[in-house]
Amino acid sequence: MITIETTSFIPIYEQIKNGIKGKISLGVLKANEPLPSIRDLAAELVVNPNTVARAYRDLESEGFITTRKGKASFVTENSSSLIKQERQRFIDEVFERAISEARKFGLGEEEIRDIVEARLKARGKSGRGEGR
Amino acid sequence: MNELLRITGLSKSFGRRSVFRDLNLAMNAGRVYGFLGKNGEGKTTLVRILMGIIPADSGEIHYKEAPVSFRSAGYKEEFGYIPEDPFFFGGMKVGEFLDFNAAFYRRWDGGRVDELLGRFSLDKKARIRTLSRGMKLKLEMATALAANPSVLILDDPTSGLDVPTRHDFLQGIVRELADSGTMILFATHLVHELERIVDHLFILEGGRIILDEEYEAVKNSTRRVRLDLEDQLPEGFGIDGILTESREGRRVEMVIYPWSEDKKQKIESLAPRNLEIEPLSLEDIFRSFVAR
Repeated sequence: MITIETTSFIPIYEQIKNGIKGKISLGVLKANEPLPSIRDLAAELVVNPNTVARAYRDLESEGFITTRKGKASFVTENSSSLIKQERQRFIDEVFERAISEARKFGLGEEEIRDIVEARLKARGKSGRGEGR
Repeated sequence: MNELLRITGLSKSFGRRSVFRDLNLAMNAGRVYGFLGKNGEGKTTLVRILMGIIPADSGEIHYKEAPVSFRSAGYKEEFGYIPEDPFFFGGMKVGEFLDFNAAFYRRWDGGRVDELLGRFSLDKKARIRTLSRGMKLKLEMATALAANPSVLILDDPTSGLDVPTRHDFLQGIVRELADSGTMILFATHLVHELERIVDHLFILEGGRIILDEEYEAVKNSTRRVRLDLEDQLPEGFGIDGILTESREGRRVEMVIYPWSEDKKQKIESLAPRNLEIEPLSLEDIFRSFVAR
């Protein structure tokens, strides 16, 4: 089930896209498996079918799904590697930002490495989950 | 664009009381239009003019680019209409009511009736007077959809109904949109349920349309800003589009439309001790617009 949060900064079509990508990466939706029809997903989420159609169009142009003429949409063969790449890019950006902030404070490479080490250690100790 | 309905310069008064003047609206096929306004702003009056129940004082309505008048009947066969307080012959059975309506619509689809009855869990043999309000709404919906409308006009149909009934009703609308691409004009003051389905917003206030905009654009450019200042906020510090504003000591809360990076920088330049910027729900957006 994809949950829709209407008071979010994230538009509904974006939330639908994220929901489907999440299902692909968890293996709930596997390669070559069909997605729910636009009509069914719109009814299930009680959202405008135009919004679901837009999410599917986006996912298709980004290579996650493919729509066979007049038929259902299917998860593509390389969708999960695309999702992995996307996540890697996101993580890289976060680190890139953190590093350039640290540089602004005049920290050197060793000090930045120490901070990362310390953060990882602190997480390990407090027993917080690894997250996703 | 696939324009279905156009309203030009429409005005209406009751006696000396002007309801609205010079309304201009355009609507396209396959889209959901949220028609918002407080009670008594004239939503129902406009809907009744569109349905040819009452005449306008002046102005024009075009359907599929052809002018329609108060007296034209043909176009109404392609309009489905669900009023707030539908009138039923309570002694009729559900099936009889549907047969009765079938006679009025050239595009009536008898084959769809059974599917619609099933979808809304309606029993053909039930007497209408024994149905709950929610079931009556579903019967109205089934009747409107069996006529295969190109335009569906809903006038506050869900006020006073429980949450599951409203959910079923909205789901019915979503299916109809997906199946037939019916244009929907949804007049309501209960805006919460529009949030997930609306494409475009009209807000009627004080006899004028004060907002005519895609919902996504409105949502993206309306922000609630809370800030705590060391000093009092300078009067009129150069931001326009403040829909609402309240101050409590050093805390200022505003709703701003249209939002922009420029305005954000102006607010940040006040060096607030604390600054929160958040998007609003449709309900809060509506409230902010009509609070002006």
